[in-house]
Amino acid sequence: MNLPASLPPRARRRRGPRRKPVFAIAVTVVFFVLLYLPIAMVVLFSFNAQKSLTIFKGFSLRWYEAFFHDNVLLGSLGMSLEVSLVAMIGSVVLGVALALGLVRHKGRLGGYAGLIMMVPLITPEIVTGVASLLLFKGLGVTLDSGTVMIAEITFSISYVTVILRSRVAALNPEVEEAAMDLGATRWQALRLVTLPALLPAILASAVLIFALVFDDFVLAYFTTGVDPQPLAVRIYSAIRFGVEPTINAVGTLMLAGSITLIGLALAIPRLFGRRGGLDLISGE
Amino acid sequence: MTPTAATPAVRLDHVSKEFNGSHAVRDLELDIAAGEFFSLLGPSGCGKTTTLRMIGGFADPTEGAVLLSGEDVTALPPNKRNVNTVFQSYALFDHLSVADNIGFGLKRKGVPKPEIRERVGAMIDLVQLGGMAERKPRTLSGGQRQRVALARALVNRPAVLLLDEPLAALDLKLRRQMQVELKQIQREVGITFVFVTHDQDEALTMSDRVAVMNGGRVEQCGTPEDVYERPESRFVAAFMGTSNLVGGVYRDGTVQLEGGPALPVGRRPEIGEGSQVDVSIRPEKIWLSDFEPGMPVVNGVIRETVYSGPTTTYLIELAPGVTVAALEQNTARARMEDRWAGGETVELGYDPEHCLVLSH
Repeated sequence: MNLPASLPPRARRRRGPRRKPVFAIAVTVVFFVLLYLPIAMVVLFSFNAQKSLTIFKGFSLRWYEAFFHDNVLLGSLGMSLEVSLVAMIGSVVLGVALALGLVRHKGRLGGYAGLIMMVPLITPEIVTGVASLLLFKGLGVTLDSGTVMIAEITFSISYVTVILRSRVAALNPEVEEAAMDLGATRWQALRLVTLPALLPAILASAVLIFALVFDDFVLAYFTTGVDPQPLAVRIYSAIRFGVEPTINAVGTLMLAGSITLIGLALAIPRLFGRRGGLDLISGE
Repeated sequence: MTPTAATPAVRLDHVSKEFNGSHAVRDLELDIAAGEFFSLLGPSGCGKTTTLRMIGGFADPTEGAVLLSGEDVTALPPNKRNVNTVFQSYALFDHLSVADNIGFGLKRKGVPKPEIRERVGAMIDLVQLGGMAERKPRTLSGGQRQRVALARALVNRPAVLLLDEPLAALDLKLRRQMQVELKQIQREVGITFVFVTHDQDEALTMSDRVAVMNGGRVEQCGTPEDVYERPESRFVAAFMGTSNLVGGVYRDGTVQLEGGPALPVGRRPEIGEGSQVDVSIRPEKIWLSDFEPGMPVVNGVIRETVYSGPTTTYLIELAPGVTVAALEQNTARARMEDRWAGGETVELGYDPEHCLVLSH
């Protein structure tokens, strides 16, 4: 059949030649400029040869050098890395356990616990921060890196659990039964079969938590002691006494680190050969 | 094979299982002999999988005891029982290679590495997975995954192998092939197989004995021939393949259909005169020609002709609203033009022995 000739005019009608969606493009450009210009400025001026924060006068690594000779900032960096690492391990261990418990516990309690678990995700961080501070003060605990770790772990467990929960729910219960059928105890079945199956999601959530905690300011600000302070808090304090371009260098390094980590978190599931990758929100 | 005086491989002693107040399994009494291929057959929800899980240790009986080779294992967890399971989903360990999947149980038992390698290798050959040892389960086809699951269980040389609808996920052709292979493997290794299925063909083809389950009870337990040819209940008659059920009144060795003929069914002393009964007869037991001498013959009208390759099924009306199916083989001698058409009146012959009379 000769379709094109016999088609009714209605089917052939178009709204004229397609024009470029100028408005949409403009909005998109403005959006990205507003979003990334300040960050781009920080990166650019971290390589400035002069102290000026407004005029770029040639490329230099002097501010990076200055940072690596600044013992206070280095101390803060060390503390932030330490806090992030401990918070990552602590919240992953507890979060995975919570996810397993929430999915497997049959009964009303699991539902309530699941709801309560979501609360930290929607509570304004400043409320969590103030609450943690009041708690530590009330208990007479000295604020130091330990209190920051505890607060960060408390805050991060929910993220791990949210990511892991759907993965745990998607596990085939027969696989763990098969392990027990083949002579494994309950604990061995968990260690040899269930945790390996969850490994991609566990690693992804670990990297995410590390990045979130490393960058965190609010909770750290309320729960840290005086010396050393986490990097984010230290930078804030430093800025109050006048902005040094060293801060730009630190900011650029943090940015690079965060991008690497988030990239890693997204890439991990692919490295394990899972199709489609991992959605950080649903963990699927 | 029937259970001998020897200790049964599996004994279920008045086993019941309740879930939230409703019975999944009721007062089950079952002996499964060593070396037997035993099937639990029934529709979904009949309690067959629950029964299997209680033997495997994945479900605790509410009442009664599970005995394996005479030993009470009711309180033992799965890892302490000398049984292994082939799960319906196969439940393979995706992060382990085929060889490591199969060797998992031996490794847990602390079998020396060289022996593990040897036994895994032998098992890979048995289930015809040569060359797949280092592959990951995800890269295998459904049939191959099924073989891995079977090998993983068999390599432990359990006293009893439990199979939970292991062929359900395979396509028809592969399923037929695996049925034959499974049966061969079972003969080769001599291990007791307890096989759960809802497919009556599968149960008939493979089993030494079949227990037909319904509503948490065993309706009938016997050889495939027993349960197919001599069903003891309406349920078994209906579940084991197509069966005609015709209602009428029993009187003096016949069943009088309402508005139709009286069907001679032979003397049934256990049935009261004048009581309402159902007559059940299999479609392939009805003759449409070449009657034997002395065979009861009744008239009917062809209502439908259903051709399905090797056989043709006729739906024949005996009385208003009473239709039976009759199956004819399309053998070399049967020609197309010999087939009856709708509306024709035919004679149906049968042997009263093949009639099952069920009182209400």
